[in-house]
Amino acid sequence: MAKRKFRLFLGSDVGKEEEWLTEMSRNGLHLQKYQLFSYTFEEDPEKSYVYQIDFQQNVKDDYLQLYKDAGWEYVTNAINAFHYFRTETSNKEVRKLYSDKESIRDSFNRMIRFYVTIFLCFLVSQLGIFTGLFNSWKSYPFYYTIVGVDAVVIVLYVYVLLSLRKRVQSIERK
Amino acid sequence: MRKEPEAFLPLSQATYYILLSLREVRHGYAIMQDVEEVSKGEVTMGPGTLYGALSKLEKQKVVEKAQVQDDDRRKYYQLTELGREVLQLEYKRLKSLVENSSEIIQQMEGN
Repeated sequence: MAKRKFRLFLGSDVGKEEEWLTEMSRNGLHLQKYQLFSYTFEEDPEKSYVYQIDFQQNVKDDYLQLYKDAGWEYVTNAINAFHYFRTETSNKEVRKLYSDKESIRDSFNRMIRFYVTIFLCFLVSQLGIFTGLFNSWKSYPFYYTIVGVDAVVIVLYVYVLLSLRKRVQSIERK
Repeated sequence: MRKEPEAFLPLSQATYYILLSLREVRHGYAIMQDVEEVSKGEVTMGPGTLYGALSKLEKQKVVEKAQVQDDDRRKYYQLTELGREVLQLEYKRLKSLVENSSEIIQQMEGN
């Protein structure tokens, strides 16, 4: 039987998301599909998986095959950049996806580049709104709603980017 | 633009073993296994770490995709000429490091 849950995890919280999914699985609910903050679980009390999420863009077959060879089953992805893998908890032989701090740092840096790019695209796309502060756009009925939504998005992006940077710095300090 | 092999030194332990494993054409998982075996279990690598390392080495032209017939979805790698030189140079560097210091270290242990 499938169950759905809604949860909001930011990109900088992949660690927490992994823990949550692993915990859900321990209780018999195994992630099957992710779509826009909605997680679909399959129920099976007999099983238990460890979940890991990998950020990687433009992946090809060889990427999935390597992870599969190493014991990680592919589950699903979000925006084709966050890839969800799992392995049975009893598989003690299986290595975690990242085994040294340089590669963990690199993966956060990839995420930062990705978010900066979308953030810049977003800002450019909203230029009309920002410059509208000073001209006749103000008379547009939803203008302040849009400005409000934009403000929330900007705050979110800045928050995610700062958290990611903090992550990278704390790895480097170790 | 080709970087000089010296510019890659010193290699990380993981990178050194990856290059060493490519004395034969291998795919990713076979590299992981060989590294573990040759390093006598001292170096173990997760698939994400290996994938990142291989992508980087490929971009730097230290390794390249090998053409292997018949196979499937796996990507096979081999050393480039540059990769071979990097590995040799690093070996010499490590060897002279050990040789130059071995007498001193032994004396220190003796005391």
